[in-house]
Amino acid sequence: MAKAILYDTTKCTACRACQVACKGWNELPAEVTTNRGTYENPADLSPTTWLKMKFREIEPGGKVRWLFTRRSCMHCTDAGCVKVCPSKALYHHELGFVAYNKDLCTGCGYCIEACPFDVPRSDRNLLTGIAKMDKCTLCTTPGLDRIAEGWEPACVKTCPTNALQYDDRDKLVAEGRKRVDSLRDAGWANANLYGENELGGLHVMYVLDDHPSVYELPVNPQISAATVAWQDAIQPLGWAVGGLTVLGLGLNYMVARANINREKEKKDVAGS
Amino acid sequence: MSQEVEKYSKPTRILHWVHLVSFCILFLTGLVLFIPQLGFLAQDSVTRVIHRIGAVVFIIAPLIYIPMNWQATKRGIKEAFSWGASDIGWLKAAPRYYFSGDEKDMPPQGSMNTGQRLWWLIVLVSGAIFTITGLIMWFAKTSAPAAVLQWMVFIHDVAFILAGTMLLLHIYLGLFHPLMNEAWKAIYKGNISAEYAKKHHAKWYEEVAKSKEVKS
Ligand code: HEM
Ligand code: SF4
Repeated sequence: MAKAILYDTTKCTACRACQVACKGWNELPAEVTTNRGTYENPADLSPTTWLKMKFREIEPGGKVRWLFTRRSCMHCTDAGCVKVCPSKALYHHELGFVAYNKDLCTGCGYCIEACPFDVPRSDRNLLTGIAKMDKCTLCTTPGLDRIAEGWEPACVKTCPTNALQYDDRDKLVAEGRKRVDSLRDAGWANANLYGENELGGLHVMYVLDDHPSVYELPVNPQISAATVAWQDAIQPLGWAVGGLTVLGLGLNYMVARANINREKEKKDVAGS
Repeated sequence: MSQEVEKYSKPTRILHWVHLVSFCILFLTGLVLFIPQLGFLAQDSVTRVIHRIGAVVFIIAPLIYIPMNWQATKRGIKEAFSWGASDIGWLKAAPRYYFSGDEKDMPPQGSMNTGQRLWWLIVLVSGAIFTITGLIMWFAKTSAPAAVLQWMVFIHDVAFILAGTMLLLHIYLGLFHPLMNEAWKAIYKGNISAEYAKKHHAKWYEEVAKSKEVKS
């Protein structure tokens, strides 16, 4: 039974308690930042910031709106990062999340390029190439695994307005739809449940009162063409070509040796 | 002692071995990323650091060789790009030759036969592709757009499949094939017997015999 997080933007006050709880539970140090004239802080996700609230101001029809969104791993069903991870460090948890075995990470950075939501982060030594990726594991990090204990993720646990909920995915889809309906009834014609079907269904879904683009979320996110060409064409091709070559060479060795030995014997017999 | 002819000069042989070793290192450390089941070997960036060290040797070695051996370089490059009708004849006759040792249809060959020249051409072209795409993945990793970096891996992999399988073939023919018993000598010691040269590189042998006296 797949689990999920439901995040309701319309209930979020952007207190950022989830952001802090994430740091606290996952033992991630704070970052020194500078005042950029916004409550949004730090400026971006990083190897030590796996969850941050994004702030956005818009003025539709001259009326200021202050929008909040969660920025963290969406735990996709068709996860680009899992598809390209060459060392199986990223994998699908039995409850549907994209879990991470950091020991196995080689630092290639392929997941960073493959993620449709621009989520994974790493510190990289550009000369040696040494790097380690980090991202939200939905509290399944070994040693810090809340899910295995049957607990909610730290962000959900701390949310004071219940903008974050953790439950069976089916239940949350139903809950999200209900919420969207009531928003539509209240006049939010573009209200929608983001993540219900995107990328095979996300395990972090958003209740939005407006079109995803208003929240700067990718509309209809996709696995990139390069990911598909590389993983679904070149990978199998490599196996086929490599396998056939090894087989062919082995066959050649056996046939050629037998033939040439026979020729030699003939010559020896003729010569003696 | 039977007569011998010089096939490869010392600098050429050194370049060959340095390049082959770095190529094999790059092949193996690349393979670790290509085959997810081997992924555990890549833990903590180890094989990726080795891949970079291999790449430095792979790129620098020819850059040192070329200015010191300009004539040989020019000759080599010309050979990689000169193809003719006899090459088609060779390709047609090759399967029978390599499987049953039947050489009656094999056209006489120059210093490199068609197969060797094909491999040589692949080395040149794939070497350039590896270098360009590899350096982008290495140094533009934090600046290039994600899509560019992904396609670089894709192209790097195409070169890997092509050059990697041909590498296996090359090593096999040089070391294991029952008929190619002196090819390794040419690139290891530099000399091959006049008899082997006549048999496997007839066109080239004629030229050499005409222009130089044959060492004995
Ligand atoms: C010419 C210099 C070369 C450079 C600078 C280079 C660099 C790179 C880089 C930067 C990567 C990405 C992974 C990482 O960051 O470690 C990579 C991956 C790889 N390289 Fe190279 N490389 C070179 C030559 C070669 C050669 C000669 C081969 C094989 C014969 C090879 C095979 C591979 C393979 C198989 C991968 C993994 C691709 C994948 O994940 O599917 N490379 N290389
Ligand atoms: S949001 Fe990005 S990092 Fe998270 S599962 Fe999807 S592809 Fe992977």
